[in-house]
Amino acid sequence: MIRHSIRHIIRKEFSDVLRDGRFRWCSVLVGALLLVSLGHGWVQAREAQREHAAAQATARDHWESQGEKNPHSAAHYGIYAFKPRLALSFVDEGVDPYTGTSVWLEAHRQNDFLLRPAQDATSAQRIGALTAAQVLQHLVPLLIILLTFGALAGERERGTLRQLLSTGVGRRDLALGKALGIAGALALLLVPAAAVGAAALVVGSPGPAASPVARAAVLAVVYLVYFAAFLALSLAVSAWARSTRTVLVILLGVWVVNGLVAPRVAVDLSKWMHPTPSALEFARTVEREMASGTEDIPRPDNDALTEDLLTEYGVERVEDLPINQSGVLLQASEEFGDRIFDRNYGALWDTFERQGAVHELVAVAAPLLAVRALSMGLAGTDVEQHRHFASAAETYRRDLMRRMNGDLTENSRSGDFSYQAGAELWESTPPLRYDAPTLGWVLGNRILSLVVLGGWLAGTILIAAARVRRAEVT
Amino acid sequence: MTARTVLRNEWRLLMADRPLRIALGLFALLLVYALANGVVWTRFQERTVEAAQAGNVEREQALAQELADIEAGAEPASRFSDPRLPNVMGGARGRHTAVLTPGPLTALTVGQSDLLPYYYDVNIYTNESSFQQNGEVESPLNLMVGRFDLAFVVIYPLPLLVLALSFNVLSEEREQGTLALTLSQPVSARGVVAAKLAFRALLAVGMVLAVSLVGLLVTGGFGAPGRILLWCAAVVAYALFWFVLAAWVNSLRRSSAWNATVLVGAWLVLVVVLPAGINIAAGLLHPLPSRVQMITAQREASNEAVNRRSELLARYLEDHPEMAEGVVADEPGLGALAWAATDAVNRRLEEVTAEHDASRAEQIALVRRYRFLSPALMAQGVLLDAAGTGDARFAGFQSQVRAFAERWRDFFVPAIVAGEQMDASVLPSVPQFNLAEEASGEVTRRAAVPLAVLGGLLLLVGAGAGVGLGRVRGAS
Repeated sequence: MIRHSIRHIIRKEFSDVLRDGRFRWCSVLVGALLLVSLGHGWVQAREAQREHAAAQATARDHWESQGEKNPHSAAHYGIYAFKPRLALSFVDEGVDPYTGTSVWLEAHRQNDFLLRPAQDATSAQRIGALTAAQVLQHLVPLLIILLTFGALAGERERGTLRQLLSTGVGRRDLALGKALGIAGALALLLVPAAAVGAAALVVGSPGPAASPVARAAVLAVVYLVYFAAFLALSLAVSAWARSTRTVLVILLGVWVVNGLVAPRVAVDLSKWMHPTPSALEFARTVEREMASGTEDIPRPDNDALTEDLLTEYGVERVEDLPINQSGVLLQASEEFGDRIFDRNYGALWDTFERQGAVHELVAVAAPLLAVRALSMGLAGTDVEQHRHFASAAETYRRDLMRRMNGDLTENSRSGDFSYQAGAELWESTPPLRYDAPTLGWVLGNRILSLVVLGGWLAGTILIAAARVRRAEVT
Repeated sequence: MTARTVLRNEWRLLMADRPLRIALGLFALLLVYALANGVVWTRFQERTVEAAQAGNVEREQALAQELADIEAGAEPASRFSDPRLPNVMGGARGRHTAVLTPGPLTALTVGQSDLLPYYYDVNIYTNESSFQQNGEVESPLNLMVGRFDLAFVVIYPLPLLVLALSFNVLSEEREQGTLALTLSQPVSARGVVAAKLAFRALLAVGMVLAVSLVGLLVTGGFGAPGRILLWCAAVVAYALFWFVLAAWVNSLRRSSAWNATVLVGAWLVLVVVLPAGINIAAGLLHPLPSRVQMITAQREASNEAVNRRSELLARYLEDHPEMAEGVVADEPGLGALAWAATDAVNRRLEEVTAEHDASRAEQIALVRRYRFLSPALMAQGVLLDAAGTGDARFAGFQSQVRAFAERWRDFFVPAIVAGEQMDASVLPSVPQFNLAEEASGEVTRRAAVPLAVLGGLLLLVGAGAGVGLGRVRGAS
């Protein structure tokens, strides 16, 4: 039960905000940007998903209609996989512009994802990309600062704080009432945007995702926690600092560090703590290890493998084997390559994930980094979920190669290069199906960010409470 | 009271103002940190470039060695990598890595150099799809955020420092009641504000330029004076724009708080909101044709080519009669057949790429037109372009590599089609890639318009401020 006096304060603060022209315009601007970016993201995500789905179908078509050929030629022909756009990617495109969209699954090698949309864009687009997530992460906190900085410091400067407190209103109630009044004004902006986002998700989900509604709900909570922390922080500074000017300078400083400085410092810190090899070095290592193996991953010994086959089938000569020896050797070489790729690509992606953890740690100084990590995770556009799809595609490639080599082994004889398989074999391989990770998996990756964001909320509320209690009247 | 007195007093006042001193100190720290970052990145790229060039030498030596061994009677190590085969010597084994050395001012602006490839392996199979590759190994998350380089400091925090230094340059005097006193001296409000801002500009811009010059000394030196001048011009014009904006807002004779709100709002709109709006508009009006469709087109072209190899060879020989010699039309060699198919795929890819590039150029033209709405976009474009880490230098590099791949093919393909072998004597004449740097006049020509617009804007706002300040009277 909210006490009567708080209700008055909430109502007064709420109508004050709505009456102030500056804030009205700022809110309209932020609201418009939010809606435009949501709409733009939705159109773009739908278009991309439609295109990827069509390309995936065509790729399958190419695979099935490749005609009669040797299964190993088909393995070399391979198939392309296109990364699907998940349902919530229209809210936060995350790292998607910087990861490739498609990968060629072919014999003998794991390829990189190619076609990064950012490479096709201009440098101007790199500094000026605006998604709904960016409006929420950068501009809404700024709006909160503008709405809050005068809340207590302004009353003090005008001398109305003493008057207010003399009417018997508690300091805590006063601060709470102001916070709720401002939150109410913000809700006028955020609730419609959330409704539009939810409607977009229901009317025409851009793409597949595991439990999009649950993801969206958690996403909403994450942003609310972020905004609440900013509101509490702003109130705390407003209660503490002597003049509104100081409050504004401090809060703008926080905003600049949070949104501009900390994210980029995190990049350097992560690169310094977990360096990655140069692309040239990486390619050379893979090339070298593929050519001569490593100490613990030796190249398959074809002579020994052949000996084993002869013993297994109890024959003297390769020609007498009831199977095709090449299929067995090819599969052995495929599995050798897989281990080399797992080692190198695995190490690289592990490094990327460790770098990501550094970004999440820097969130202790800048909550934006925690919110960003959670937002991308829930939208399905973080590094981990790119890797999730990449692994699914690679697992599919390995299965495809096993099937091709198996067919070659079973249905032809050693030294027979004229063997050809047909549509029956191509059609018998299942198409690539991808299940996006569950909400639990996503949150499991982001425990650090959840803790840090929770810490920010708890910390800012405690500080605000302490500062409000001790706030000076004049 | 002369301008010198104003300057001397300003220095004393500024040094007495602790928050401002801290702000200046922090800014200096940001500058040094950004430069250190850029230098580390430049060194990294330089090492990679060296390794790539060393690779070229190693591969050539290995080829020469094996060719000499074969000449002396040894068998080639493998039938498939016999260096005498033109598709081996000109193929993956003998490939040449074409390298773009880091831009002369990379230490100041990482720009696009962490995203776009700065070397390509060229061999006879290089075609349009070879240019679809990722650049340096980098976490997508780090690419998304971007680097903390000097250009970043100039575009985002520098205007904020400028505004912090000058939002109350006149309003404060009035609020403290010193304006009447100051203006009772033989000096105009215009003169006072100009002197104060000139002093602050000297300080802020001087810091940026000093750190930039240190960066140049540490890395490339002053080998590209034209580019360095453009860089400095962009920094000066952009910083001055914010100073005159502050002067103009001060000339409106409102309170310091009002000035601060309006200026921060202007920063937000010009630096954050407008660039984003322009990009959204560009994306909606001229959506980029997707590369995804290129993969499908490429795939279809190669399917078709493989099925129609003999027919394609006939057409290829019609187009290239000089190669028909040595190929018996009735029973062409495998090499000739395969090459005909490769060539057909390449042609089709070129068509698809040309269509894609045309629509991409359209979108870029739009973005380039609207960048004039935002001083931040204009400044960023010039800073990157001057540093040689903008889109233009990478595009120029790519087209040079394209031409080089053509030369490479012209060198090896006749032998492939004729089914001939090569020997060590051709090695010295195998094409080498030499980067032709863009003339600095070209860069200047591209930068001239945005710089002129920025300068015009500067004059316009400055004139407005001058007129407004002319009306300021001490007694008001």
